[in-house]
Amino acid sequence: MSLRDSAIVAYAETKVMKKSDRDVWVLMGEILEQLLDKSGFESKEIDGLVMSGLTGTGGASMFWAQSTCDMLGLEVGFCEQVHTGGCSAVGAVARAAAAIDAGMCEVAVCMFADTHVREHNGRNDRNYRRDWTDPYGVLGPPGAFGLLQRAYDAKYGVDLKALGKLAITQRNHAIMNENACEELRVPITMDDYINSRMIADPIRLLDCVMLADGAAGLIVTSKKRAKEKGLNKCVIPIGYAERTNFLGGDNLVDVTRSGHEIAGKKALAAAGWNIKDVRSFHPYDDFLIALVIQFEAFGFCKPGEGMKFVRDTDLSYNGTLPMNTGGGQISAGQAACSSHNLIEAVRQLMGEAGKRQVKDTTNALVTGIGWINYGRNWGSSAAMALVPNQ
Amino acid sequence: MAVTLNDTLDVKRGDIKHYDFGMPFWDATRQKKLVIQYCKVAKKFQHFPRPVSIFTGRRRDIEWREVSGKGKVYSFTIAHRGPPAFQGKEPYAIASVTLDEGVNVIADVVNCTAEDLKVGMRVKAYWHPLDNGEHLLMWQPDKDAK
Repeated sequence: MSLRDSAIVAYAETKVMKKSDRDVWVLMGEILEQLLDKSGFESKEIDGLVMSGLTGTGGASMFWAQSTCDMLGLEVGFCEQVHTGGCSAVGAVARAAAAIDAGMCEVAVCMFADTHVREHNGRNDRNYRRDWTDPYGVLGPPGAFGLLQRAYDAKYGVDLKALGKLAITQRNHAIMNENACEELRVPITMDDYINSRMIADPIRLLDCVMLADGAAGLIVTSKKRAKEKGLNKCVIPIGYAERTNFLGGDNLVDVTRSGHEIAGKKALAAAGWNIKDVRSFHPYDDFLIALVIQFEAFGFCKPGEGMKFVRDTDLSYNGTLPMNTGGGQISAGQAACSSHNLIEAVRQLMGEAGKRQVKDTTNALVTGIGWINYGRNWGSSAAMALVPNQ
Repeated sequence: MAVTLNDTLDVKRGDIKHYDFGMPFWDATRQKKLVIQYCKVAKKFQHFPRPVSIFTGRRRDIEWREVSGKGKVYSFTIAHRGPPAFQGKEPYAIASVTLDEGVNVIADVVNCTAEDLKVGMRVKAYWHPLDNGEHLLMWQPDKDAK
């Protein structure tokens, strides 16, 4: 199988900033430099560039990945921009591995850089919104997740204290993460969560991610090349799957179900794992309720039992199922094309997470959520199973 | 604490740009009629309008049918922060409604208090006039419903 013949040999990350003090190209330059220094590769050896399309700074440019090659002096045989929204980070690793397997490149940089707070160059999304939700004042993702959480509440019941526990757990992790957005590195209490102001009732401020600026990156190469290079500390993607437009051929969709039902099963099967084998979990978090739905969709618990699962499980870095140990996006800031949870999982498996290091680095599961479709759950669901080099 | 909901009827919505394949919907709103795409093969409705049947992938399976405009609330959210045109009009309610014909349609809710708005509540169409002669579909409580 192609995926497990590849290896993530280096990761890099800037601090998450409420607003970047540097240009996005400067951040990319910092990431490239870190990646080259850590891996020992020279820039001439980089022959693949995979960018995330989830960027407000570059998203309106049709030539974003090519411009980046030009800016960074990279000459590549594989130049790609991934457009699966918040699935683009894990999607970039999968596409890099596929390209390596197909012989299109050997050493790929996955680049996740965005300074959408400092410089947003607009978007021109051509979709249902202009006709069917903009006239109603639906505020993008918070509006959609408001509908989703209310439907979950009507079907199963929402326990605010379970959601608050998720918020507090992730916040405690962000406080231990020096790369998390400084403004978010302050403790919160259950009362802070419950009393945070409504944005799209039932979605509160502390249910939501905060947009922020920053960059991250990875180098993916073949296991063979990694070995030749003496890069023994690496992380292997052993299972990956994505699902876009889950139940897209149906007209009445239960919004509490997601494409992770399929992507999760497929990624776990490729890895040869049972869900109980997962040692740390790094789920995409744009809203807290999305975490609950993922626990259910991946099979950590049955549908409708997500709130109970959260109440009964210690999700802190030293708990029984460490979750989003870098703070998640909700407490670290939504930056670097939403690659934060992927980078954190790689860091954990390399044993470099410092005081928030998880004890069991046997494996990690990372997920993605991308785009919002009309009256459904979310547009894309992805899952990637990672293990350290054996 | 009672929360008064804004009907958003004074929001300037401007020209809503339509896709040509959705025009039968908008044309029908001029007569305050709700028409929805129907797949003759799957025998199901679909909304929003698509260029093909989402059930079969074929254009030829689609026809437009007038529907009751009645249904029940599947879910709702109360916007406390709106996009620019809606700022200052919060809070207002947006509901996803399951029509009796079996398809979900998202729209603002009018003539309703926050206390009355519930999942499962019966609603019917409310037609809000737009500058170009079309009407915007909204939902209001269906007081006659049992």
